[in-house]
Amino acid sequence: MLFNSLEFVVFFPIVFLVYWYILKNNLRQQNIFLLVASYFFYGCWDWRFLFLLAISTFLCYYGGLKINEASSRSKRKMWMAVSVIVNIGFLGFFKYFNFFIDSFQDFLQLFGLTPHMHTLQIILPVGISFYTFHGLSYVLDIYNEKIEPTRNWVDYSLFVSFFPLLVAGPIERATHLLPQIEKLRTFDYKRATDGLRQILWGLFKKVVIADGCAEYVNQIFDNSADQPGSALALGAVLFAFQIYGDFSGYSDIALGTARLLGFDLLQNFKFPYFSRDIAEFWRRWHISLSSWFRDYLYIPLGGSRGGMAQTIRNTFIIFLVSGFWHGANWTFVAWGGLHALFMMPSIVAKRNRINLEIVAQGKILPSFADVFHITITFLLVVLAWIFFRADTIQHAFSYISGLRDDIFTLPYLSPKTIIYILLVVFMLVVEWIGREGKYALEHFATIKSSLFKWIFYYVILMLIFLLAGGDQVFIYFQF
Amino acid sequence: MKKFIKRLALFCLPILILAYPADLFISNGLRNSTYSDGEIEIWNDLYNGDLQAKHLFYGSSRAWVHFSPAVMEQETGVPFYNLGMDAHNFYMQRLRHEEMLKHNPKPELIVLGLDMGSLEKRPDLYNKNMLLPFMLWNKAIADAALTYKGFTKADFMIPLYRYFGEFEAVKSGLKYYIQPDDRFRYKGYKGRDEEWNSDLDKAKAKIGTYTVNLDSLSVELFEEFLVQTKADSIPVVLVYTPEYIEGQGFVSNRKEIMKMYQDYSEEYDVPFLDYSQDSISYHKEFFYNTMHMNRKGSELFTEKLAKDLIKYELLK
Repeated sequence: MLFNSLEFVVFFPIVFLVYWYILKNNLRQQNIFLLVASYFFYGCWDWRFLFLLAISTFLCYYGGLKINEASSRSKRKMWMAVSVIVNIGFLGFFKYFNFFIDSFQDFLQLFGLTPHMHTLQIILPVGISFYTFHGLSYVLDIYNEKIEPTRNWVDYSLFVSFFPLLVAGPIERATHLLPQIEKLRTFDYKRATDGLRQILWGLFKKVVIADGCAEYVNQIFDNSADQPGSALALGAVLFAFQIYGDFSGYSDIALGTARLLGFDLLQNFKFPYFSRDIAEFWRRWHISLSSWFRDYLYIPLGGSRGGMAQTIRNTFIIFLVSGFWHGANWTFVAWGGLHALFMMPSIVAKRNRINLEIVAQGKILPSFADVFHITITFLLVVLAWIFFRADTIQHAFSYISGLRDDIFTLPYLSPKTIIYILLVVFMLVVEWIGREGKYALEHFATIKSSLFKWIFYYVILMLIFLLAGGDQVFIYFQF
Repeated sequence: MKKFIKRLALFCLPILILAYPADLFISNGLRNSTYSDGEIEIWNDLYNGDLQAKHLFYGSSRAWVHFSPAVMEQETGVPFYNLGMDAHNFYMQRLRHEEMLKHNPKPELIVLGLDMGSLEKRPDLYNKNMLLPFMLWNKAIADAALTYKGFTKADFMIPLYRYFGEFEAVKSGLKYYIQPDDRFRYKGYKGRDEEWNSDLDKAKAKIGTYTVNLDSLSVELFEEFLVQTKADSIPVVLVYTPEYIEGQGFVSNRKEIMKMYQDYSEEYDVPFLDYSQDSISYHKEFFYNTMHMNRKGSELFTEKLAKDLIKYELLK
């Protein structure tokens, strides 16, 4: 069941009404109901993987209790290791088994060996990377004594499987979400309207921007050898907006949906394409994942405390692992590696934490220097996206080398493509205006004129209705 | 909570109220457009009972571009209409036949153009948007179309829903009110002024040969059609229109398929005119690909067909 499907349009109002009208003031029943709804939501993809979700949930729940009860440090460590290894094992098997087999075969072929190793027909369970990381953060937080384990099985299960975030995040932390699950939630009009607005904007970004750009992007990437450099450049730029619209749109819908049910999830995007350097980009892009890697990988590895060499090593490790997390393909690893490389100048110059405030805060337009830095950062990000989108490393290199040919020739643009380019500009303008909020339309709450707001909402709805792209699944579901 | 529900309902109310009128408005415009290569024109004439002919051509794209009603009328003095449907097998052709019977007088002759894939069934609903202006609450279309990948039940039930993301269709529908299109086809026929292209070479290079897999339901429906038309006293003539000779080896089970058509002809006592070995089939200049004749070829062929229909006394 996709957020942008008719099934969800039927499913969610039922959940909303039962949750707030029938089960109001009964926290336990509300949580049980949300858990059942979440399992139903997930089961709509493939009911067989409900068992995997339940097992993964149980392992972390039980592991958390055991870590807490352990009488010695070694036992704590053992239970933590068991939980982590089993969960990573599930992820590794379903996501990376064939990749490792193939890569091992390729490696042996370098030495003239031609082994015949069997790969398996493995279906990747939707959202496994996300809920595995939910569970791991819980176990590691208990091990690090940041939280006490919950003894309520329903509450913990809901934390792992809460349907708005189950299949593509944001990757929540127990410290943030569990207290909200354990506390009675009351309906709040402002929060609910905010949620609806965020859903609307998320839908626009997903259905219009991402799916609309996808048509052109797919055409260019699938036939990149026959395209002039200018079309390749445009294809790469539009992919940047496709993936942004897709993932941040999904996150907006997820956050808005959760808000309608009285939950505040972690902000996953903070207008990343207005970043002035790569470090800032990573403070604004897929925040829940980058902060997860920071807290559970980068800092345990020593972070930046051990001198420049260690900082550089750790930076490369988290970016390469982050790339690998996205999928079993060397293209993702290369994408991560490139970002690590792009980070190096600012790390070496110790200028990776200079752009902490919002760009042009309190101003209408950015300065020339801001525009320059935003443009350079954006171009670097686009370059890395080519690896992310390409089928193979070779494809990415041939795509990049193709950029040199006819780069200044205007590519053929169909009227529809021109419309989508204009809509990308529209999205950027709206996001620029709203960049100081948690999402682009947050400041609409302060606009007095209901007429203006409603007209704007109707226009967005109209654009969604008319210009929805083809049936494209959310890109991040595959991760 | 009440305030939220009230405001949300108020916001949604105009959408709910306007959905059906907007659907009618767009659909009416679209019915009168040339959208979907003129396929909508055919459906529109059919649903309006405006075929103005009791002699009909059925079939796929081969029928669409091969049977020229103008030439036929000139040769026989009888009005014809071409109901050929691009890229669709008999399964969808039968839907068109059923809908035609509901909205038009009983035909006096059906010339059914056959091809190798007539009794196959494609998985996707090719050119599905040709159905957009006619399909709301239309059970017959829903029953047929839902057997393909393309639409969902909601498309047939909820006003406007099927126009979601269909910018070109909506634009074509609205354009009618500002600048109506001229007709794209003449009585369902569209002559192609094209020269030979490399479609066959590409297909051969890609898949070598192709084996036709019959769809059992389509076969059943085809037999039922032959029985029913006989019962209703609607004469049917099966015609295999010319096919470029060099391309005839592309289908590996061609002989079996042709024999099957011959057997049907004998079993159901329906005339079968096979032009696949006609002299036209040996001339590349009459084709733009192996399956389809260009205007020159189709007009020459229709002339021949008209003469044969007269010769064999198949015209009333």
